[in-house]
Amino acid sequence: MTAPDSASAAPQLTVAVIGNPNTGKSTLFTALTGVHSRIGNYPGVTVEKKTGRFTLEGRSVQLVDLPGTYSLSPRSLDEMVSVEVLLGQQRDVGKIDAVVCIADASNLERNLYVVSQVLDLGLPTVLVLNMWDVAEHRGIVINVGELRSRLSIPVIPCEAHRRRHIEDVKQAIVSVVSQPPPAAPRVFPPEFYDEGLKLQSRLAEWGETNVPFYVAERLLLDVGGQFEATFSARHTEKLPAALTEARERLKVIGLKVPAAEAKARYAWARQVLNGAITLPPERTANHSDGLDRWLTHKVWGLAAFIAIMFAVFQAISTFSAPLMNLCEALQQGVGSQIGSLLPPGPFRSLIVDGVIAGVGGILVFLPQICFLFLFIALLEDCGYMARAAFLMDKLMVKVGLSGKSFVPLMSSFACAIPGIMATRTIENRRDRMVTILVAPLMSCSARAPVYALMIAAFFPSVAWAGGWITLHGVMMFVMTFFGAAVAIPVAWLFKKTLFKGETPPFVMELPSYKWPSPRIVAHRVYDRARAFVLRAGSLIFATSILVWAASYFPGDHTLEQQTSVQIEQVESKLADDPSLQAERDELVVRRNALSEQLLETSFLGRFGKGIEPAVRPLGWDWRIGVGVLASFPAREVIVATLGTIYSLGGDVDESDSGLQQALQNSKWPDGRPVYSIPVALSIMVFFALCAQCASTLMVIRRETNSWGWSLFTFVYMTTLAYLAALIVYQAGTAIGG
Amino acid sequence: MQLVPLEMMTIGEHGCVRDVDGSPDFVVRLQEMGLHEGARVRMVKTGSPCILAVNEHRFSLRFDDRATVLVELTR
Repeated sequence: MTAPDSASAAPQLTVAVIGNPNTGKSTLFTALTGVHSRIGNYPGVTVEKKTGRFTLEGRSVQLVDLPGTYSLSPRSLDEMVSVEVLLGQQRDVGKIDAVVCIADASNLERNLYVVSQVLDLGLPTVLVLNMWDVAEHRGIVINVGELRSRLSIPVIPCEAHRRRHIEDVKQAIVSVVSQPPPAAPRVFPPEFYDEGLKLQSRLAEWGETNVPFYVAERLLLDVGGQFEATFSARHTEKLPAALTEARERLKVIGLKVPAAEAKARYAWARQVLNGAITLPPERTANHSDGLDRWLTHKVWGLAAFIAIMFAVFQAISTFSAPLMNLCEALQQGVGSQIGSLLPPGPFRSLIVDGVIAGVGGILVFLPQICFLFLFIALLEDCGYMARAAFLMDKLMVKVGLSGKSFVPLMSSFACAIPGIMATRTIENRRDRMVTILVAPLMSCSARAPVYALMIAAFFPSVAWAGGWITLHGVMMFVMTFFGAAVAIPVAWLFKKTLFKGETPPFVMELPSYKWPSPRIVAHRVYDRARAFVLRAGSLIFATSILVWAASYFPGDHTLEQQTSVQIEQVESKLADDPSLQAERDELVVRRNALSEQLLETSFLGRFGKGIEPAVRPLGWDWRIGVGVLASFPAREVIVATLGTIYSLGGDVDESDSGLQQALQNSKWPDGRPVYSIPVALSIMVFFALCAQCASTLMVIRRETNSWGWSLFTFVYMTTLAYLAALIVYQAGTAIGG
Repeated sequence: MQLVPLEMMTIGEHGCVRDVDGSPDFVVRLQEMGLHEGARVRMVKTGSPCILAVNEHRFSLRFDDRATVLVELTR
């Protein structure tokens, strides 16, 4: 992949990849570039910028993956990015040397719509006919040679998911740049092109030199489009009038804007395909129809949805348990190993209590996160997610939203950040705002460690149905959907008050069912796991150290350390002289009392005691209160913070320092256990509803262009969380006695 | 030639789109997605939203007074 470029002095090529959604574009991108892709954002908008590279015959090629789109007629700033990239106006990317257009071979006519727009750009273009096998299977016969000569561009059949003909695509990309770009197809009557040139020269008169012809074309065709908005803002008086006149003249010759474009481009597509493609006779109902009807049935479909979700969470809970235990054992092993190498003192405490108990405590949940992303990726890739969105449209309409909001909300179950970013597929602004505001209520993967910890520590492990259903799995399921259930009335309320408006139109493609591609799924799980580990290594690491420092200082730890040294000395002789056991136990008790006292008089302890009255009604002690406060930047910090607090507090025997046991053993000063089922529930409910994620609030501010909405989200979610936790704890203790 | 609104089609009925009319934004979007004049459609699931096979590719669509799709029944 990183072959030295010195072999040739040829400069790097920049190639854009574009195509309809659901054509296997990301699969092709991954197949071309391997795992070496970089994901970022274009400045100022929320479009994901994905780049990767490959080298062929000494030529280094940078690929830019553009968002899947049905057309190149930008209606928003986000859609504008793709056009800007292709026109070489996106400074982040620079000049584009070639375009790879990916089309679904089994649906060529529609896919040629965007191809015809790409050809209007006058760039060297390669057309990839992906899903060739699907087309063959359907009985579609495509004469590739004929298409090649009609379009005068390279046309490459490809099966990206099986990695077939990937080399052909690479080869075509590298060779197409040295050929002259194809002539743009003249899909409109000549008068249209004259109008375009006229507009171009008018713009030049107004100082807009070098406006590409494609932009003039878009200005004429897109009524109320993004180009019209951008240019009208600069030429408020002249442009709208000029456009109205030009469109009037086009209407006279029978070109009615905007309807004319679809007519002209589809006519062109039919002409290109006529004779070059043989379609099978139109099919009557098939098995996929039946499946679709069943999965979207108002009773059976819903039952299937709930069953699938339940199975997923049961599986996550079952599969990840042994792996998590392994990780936990590893973490404790590393902790005691390092602990024994370092002399007692602040440094050892920082490493063992701060870093290992803190960051390590959160890394233990990595298997769980991986399984969650695995299942979400599987459901998305096999085509089920779109059916679920369809099913949910009926429910969404009741709260005033559409099924379009379902996909962003569903991906918020993994993480609210990509979920909120995915709301840009919602055209209606009011709907988009409501979806953004409730997305953080969906149970993201960062909540999973909190639930897992509380459930494992405080709910008995009961199993039914021969071990297929466990109480832990059921609780995981219930907690995960609790936030979503609360989101329903919240969304309804927002739609009734802040964002009144009619229900938006709903049209969505349902991708065909297919076996998930292991590579795509593995790639997505890897990306997400990596992000989780990086976050643990940065934000959570920093918070852990702060929490450690606040709970270690300002006390004088000399006596505690001396006791620790004594314990270790006694322990080393213990094997030879079992009678020392009593002395050792006594020393441990003394050390733990010292640690406890030091923790309570530390900065953190004093602060915690100060806020205890505020959290007492929720059933929390000061440690939980502090843990919750420390986790406002990122909710999973609670696990790290509790890890550090309990590790420092010396509540636990070092040989048995699991956080679960520490929680189970934790007591109020009067000896009652701190944690009970109502307390665990109150903590989980609080975490389910609270806005404890700085990154989400930042994304909301970026997407809504106002800190106001971030603040609003923070206030409404935190209030909701406090009230719900209060109700759950008070009701729980009243019922439980 | 018998033209009916799309929502009048019954399960399994085939048709050919003859006219898409309504608010320009929505109409352009429908056309770009493949529901253009001349497209062959088959009703997979009626109701609102319905499931429609357009050239064997499925769409879900909720009917809306902002757009009318007229279909010529073929079978």
